Formats: sequence, C-alpha cells, structure tokens
Amino acid sequence: MIGLAHFLTVSALLFAMGVLAILLKRNAIGVLMGIELILNAAGINFVAFSHFLGGLEGQVITLFIIILAAAEAAVALAIVFSIYHNFQTINVDQVDRLKG
Amino acid sequence: MQSSSFTLVFYAFAALTLAAAGVVVFARNILYSAFSLLAALFGVAALYAMLGADFLAAAQLVIYVGGILVLILFGVLLTQRGTHLHLRVTTRQALPAIAAAALVAAVLLVAMVQRAPWPAPTPRPYTPTTAALGEALLGKYLLPFEVVSIALLAALVGAVYLTRAPEHDR
Amino acid sequence: MLLSDLKLFAPELVVAGLLLGVLILALKPRSWSFYASTCLAGLALALVALAALAALPAQSYFSSMVVHDPFALFCRAFFLAATMLAILLTLRSRELCGPGAGEFYLLLLAVLLGMMLLAGSNHLLMVYLSLELVSVPSYLLAGFLKRERASSEASLKYVIYGALSTGVMLYGLSLLYGLSGSGSFEALRRHFSGSSFDPGLVGLALVMALAGFGYKISSAPFHFWAPDVYEGAPTAFTAFLSVGPKAAGFAVLVRFLFSSLTSQPGPTGTLLPLSPWPTLIAILAALTMFVGNIAALVQHNMKRLLAYSSIAHAGYMLMAVCLVSVTGLQAMLFYFIAYAIMNLGVFLVVIVIANATGSEEIATYQGLWVRAPYLVAAMGLFLLSLAGIPPLVGFVGKFYLFKAAIAGQLYWLAVVAVINSAISLYYYVYVLRVMFIDPGGELTPLRPPAVHTAVLAVLVVLTVALGIFYGPLDSITRASAHLLGS
Repeated sequence: MIGLAHFLTVSALLFAMGVLAILLKRNAIGVLMGIELILNAAGINFVAFSHFLGGLEGQVITLFIIILAAAEAAVALAIVFSIYHNFQTINVDQVDRLKG
Repeated sequence: MQSSSFTLVFYAFAALTLAAAGVVVFARNILYSAFSLLAALFGVAALYAMLGADFLAAAQLVIYVGGILVLILFGVLLTQRGTHLHLRVTTRQALPAIAAAALVAAVLLVAMVQRAPWPAPTPRPYTPTTAALGEALLGKYLLPFEVVSIALLAALVGAVYLTRAPEHDR
Repeated sequence: MLLSDLKLFAPELVVAGLLLGVLILALKPRSWSFYASTCLAGLALALVALAALAALPAQSYFSSMVVHDPFALFCRAFFLAATMLAILLTLRSRELCGPGAGEFYLLLLAVLLGMMLLAGSNHLLMVYLSLELVSVPSYLLAGFLKRERASSEASLKYVIYGALSTGVMLYGLSLLYGLSGSGSFEALRRHFSGSSFDPGLVGLALVMALAGFGYKISSAPFHFWAPDVYEGAPTAFTAFLSVGPKAAGFAVLVRFLFSSLTSQPGPTGTLLPLSPWPTLIAILAALTMFVGNIAALVQHNMKRLLAYSSIAHAGYMLMAVCLVSVTGLQAMLFYFIAYAIMNLGVFLVVIVIANATGSEEIATYQGLWVRAPYLVAAMGLFLLSLAGIPPLVGFVGKFYLFKAAIAGQLYWLAVVAVINSAISLYYYVYVLRVMFIDPGGELTPLRPPAVHTAVLAVLVVLTVALGIFYGPLDSITRASAHLLGS
C-alpha cells in the first residue's frame, strides 16, 4: 500500500541528490540542475501532503514553485551567458577572481 | 482500494526519478546530465499524477520539461567552446560530498518517515483539480497570482537586458 | 471586500503602476536622471497613499495572505524611503551610465514591491513569493554591469547561493505545511500551541527555513555570498542591498517567528516562544557578529569591508529578534533607520570617490583629507556612527539594542555585542586613518556634483540630529513595534 511515507522518501532522496549535485558539479549549469532537483523535492512534499492530509493548498503552492522556478532558471541562465561572455568558461572554480 | 499495478507503477516512476537524478549528479558529460534531468522531471510529473494532481502534472511537463529543460539545453550547448565535442565536467573528490548528502538524506528520512509525526491520512478519491485550482487562483490566492506576473515580467526584462548583444543596446 | 483590500494595497499598486510606466517609457531611449525623477515622483505618491492607511485598524487582507499593522506600515514606509535614497545614489554615477536605464529602475521597483509584500506576508506562499520577487531582480541588478567581470561573477555567486538557500527554505516550509495542514501563520500558531507536535521535526524545518531567511539578512553561516556580491555589484545597488532587502529579510523573519512560533500574548502582553528558537537565533547572532567583525579587519577593498561590516550589523539586529519582546522589536526598527542613514552615507562617499579616482580600494583613499576635507569629514562621521560613538545615531541605535538585551536578561549576548563593537572600531578607524593621516599623491581638489553634496549634507545632518534628538524616532518605533496578533 503506497502511502505518504513512500512519497516523502522519494522527496528526501531527491533532495539529497540535489545537494550532492551542487557539491560535486563544477559546471554552473550543473549546479543549477541540482537546485532544480531540490525544488522538485519540495514540490513533491507539498503535493503529497495536500493529497494525504486534505486541502488544495499544497497543489497551489507547488504550482507557484514551478512558475517561480521557471523565472529563476531564465535569470540564472542569462547570468551564465553573461559569465561565459566575460570569462569564456562556466566552471565555477575558475570564475572566482574576487578574493577575501 | 489500491491495486497492485498502482504499487508497481509507483516504484517504476520512483526508480526512474531517482536513477535519473543519480545520472544528473554523476555523469561526466553535462549533456547526459541535462537529458537525465528531463527523465527526472518527467518522473516527478508522474508522481504528481499519482497524487491526484492532474493539472500540476501537466503544468510540470509543459513548464519544467518543455520550458526550463529546453532553456538548460540551450545553455549547455551555447556555453561550450565551438569544436569541443567532449562536454566534460570535472568533479572533485566525491567522497566527502557523498557522505554529506547521505547524512542529509538520513536526517530527513528519520525525521519525516521514521518518526512520522503527520496527522492520520484521510483517504481521498481522485477528482479532477483544474476547476478547483482555477477558482482558488482567482479567489483565495488572487494576490500571489497577480504578483507572480510582476515577478515574471521583471525576470523577462532583466534576462533580455543581460543577454542582449551590445549593438542592440540603445 | 476586494475594494477594501485594494485600498489597503494602494501603495503597492502605485509602485506596480510605476513599474509598468517605466516599462512603457523605456520604449524610447531616455536618460538615467529622467527615470530617476519619474521614480522619485511615483514613490512619493506611494508614500502619500501609505500615509492614508495609517489610521486604519490592524487587519489581514487578501484572504489572510497579507497583514496590515503598525509594523508593516513602518516597514513599507521605510522601504519606500530607503529606495528613494538609493535612487538618489544612482545619479551621476560613473558605473551606471549608458543603455539599460529603464531596465535598471524596473528591476529596482520590482525588488521594492517584493520588500513591501514581505513586510506584511502572513502565509508561507506569500513569504516564498515575496522573497523570490526581492531576490530574482537582485540577481540581475548585481550583474547589471554586464561587461565587467566582477559584476558577472557577483551575480553568478548571488544566484547560486540565493536559489540554493530559497530551495532549502522551501523544503523546510513544506514540512511546516505538512505538520499544520495549512500555510497561513495563524494555522501554524494554532498547531504549535497544541500539545502534540514533534519538536525534532519542527526544529529541522526551522533550521531549513532559516537558510532562506539567513541568506537574505546575510547572517552566518549563510553570509558567504555577501562579500563578493557587495564588491562586484554596482555600488548604488550594493548600498540599496545593504539596507533594503536586508531589512525586508528581518521584517519577514520577525513576522514568521512571532506569528507562527510564538503564542498569543498573555494578559500582561508577554510573548512565549513555542519552541526553543530564541536560543538558536541568539547563537546565530553571536556567530554573525564575530564573523563579520573579524573578517572586516583584514579587508583592503572598501566595499568588501562594508560587506563584512554589514554582516556584523545583521548580527546586532538578530540580537533584537531573539528577545521575543516589544522592546527588542522597537530596538530593531530604530536600528533599521539608523543603519540606513549611516550605511547609505558611507556608500555615497564610496561612489563619489570611485567616480573621481576610479578605485574602490582603501589604499587609494590616502590623503583624501587634503583633496576633499568636507567629504572626508562626512565619511568620518558615518564611520564613527557605525562604530557606535556618541552622540551619533549609531550610538543611540546600539544603545537601544543593548538596553533591550539587558531587559530581556540576555547578558551573555550583550557582552558579545559590546566586544564586537570594540573590534569594529578598529577597522572603521583604520579607514579614517588612511584618509586623514596617510599622505597621498594627488593634490587636486575633489569636487562632487551638487546632487551628491546635497544628499550627503542631509545624511550628515540626520546622523547627528537623530543621535541627539532621538525622541520622535523613539515614539514612532515604539508605536510601530506591534504585529497583528501579538
């Protein structure tokens, strides 16, 4: 019987994968992908709670998460292009001139 | 009430989502990561559908897969050096990071699943949610609905400014 | 129903209308000063609309998504005023010239709108949405100098840290939603006032949520983005960032903690936290103060030094938050204003010097006393105020914070704050020493444009006057330190 716990497990593991991607990836877009995994994990939580505990609120919140993730991704990618234009690389280790 | 095929489908999509996420993390080729992200997002959409969120599943597919992922693919392809066919991504010593992520997963699983302080679930039938969502967005959630359009406008204007070629700047 | 909601929402409607107006005006190329004056006029109108709301009783509107109370009123007025000052700082800047003026002010107005919504957010969804509305245009504004490497790098670091922090926060908020079944702060408070909730999970959710709030207020250990972003971003935006979004982060943090995780006020008006969050905040406050002040000691770039100084000041303000008292709230609100005046003043001087010398390194400030005595005197005043020297407004602000801490019996944290103030004196005086005593090369006098001199004069007068005659500000902040439902 698939219950709340199953979905929460998936979201917890997805969250951890997102964290891992952010820690491991040196490519700026790779880090962005990790952030998307984290946002999706939160989305699964909201929808799962909404389904099992009643109410539509979780689904509404997840809808806004999807919308804002789109805006954030567009902005992040615009910034990545700007970085590529200035540094000719999007490796986060090499884009680290500001010191201190 | 739940058939065994439901259980099977759940495990299939859960496995797809998590395996794809794993490929996103560990693939050395960023293009493979991007396509695996597509599979992971698709898996999440399926999970939404299994949770009765039909509109949300469709929205996830349209916006996340059809929009954000396409954008990411453009980003990946346009930020590699021209003739560089090997889209390699360097990854550092993975072990401390894996340990940290495992710790995070463990903490979350213990807190959410093992201790499970949630109220008792109420069994709910699957009903279409589109109409209810529409009413909610123009009713209780009117303010966020209108404000998010300003957020999108600002993101759009700013992203265009940042990526505009200099000769088009006035 | 909707009409009365819109009446309460009038200032935000003016800002949104101004934003759309700027978008339309930007169809034709116009100068930076054109947009600046348009925005100043529009924001003045918004302030008038806000003043009209002062008499209305505290209430929630838009289906309990947002709240109108003295606290929100004060914060919204503060954000409008701070943004108007920041707009003045964008004038005659060597960095902010050329195309993109319309886009810049549009993004700035979007951030302002988000800040005003943060002041009254009463629901987890509204918190997340408003936080994103503040953050996303900020990422773009930090990278606005798109041909400068430092600016691009600043925006990359900002977007990565910011998106990660809000993502983690969102996960924490999802847990709170799961526990209480609703996202509104009242529902959260009802749930946590009950007897059966899992403190471990609440603690975990709170820590994750603090990732998002902590990043916005640049408190340790979520402060790593601040030095790079402050250094690389256009200085006028850095000045705005250090005052506006930071205060907005505090406003929403306070409302979140006081409305969801604190009980209804008892008969004597005392507030009781429903989980041991004050201790956690106190530890973060101490950590933030030390990180900010100690790192500032070794900086060579003025904007970077000010970033760490800003982090330290966030620590002082966090001290006010963990007191869970009206006195603490009042001290925080007073510090908002004091900090805005001092910090905007310092950054304006940095802008003037950068316009003239092209550098933001402290080393190039050598011997400026000879070239621009009044400018250096003003800078000295602002720096001493930041250090908390009487009779300046910074001293009064710190005095309120310490007084509140002592009244709240948080003696160890007050001692930590005093030690940190002493440490900070060292690096503020170091900058003064470089300007006053170290001999410089050039001797040509440095004359800033009239608008800069005028703004500086006003800020100098405020720094001194509000330090001596702090009575009116005291009454205003005391009246504003009230949240709906507490």
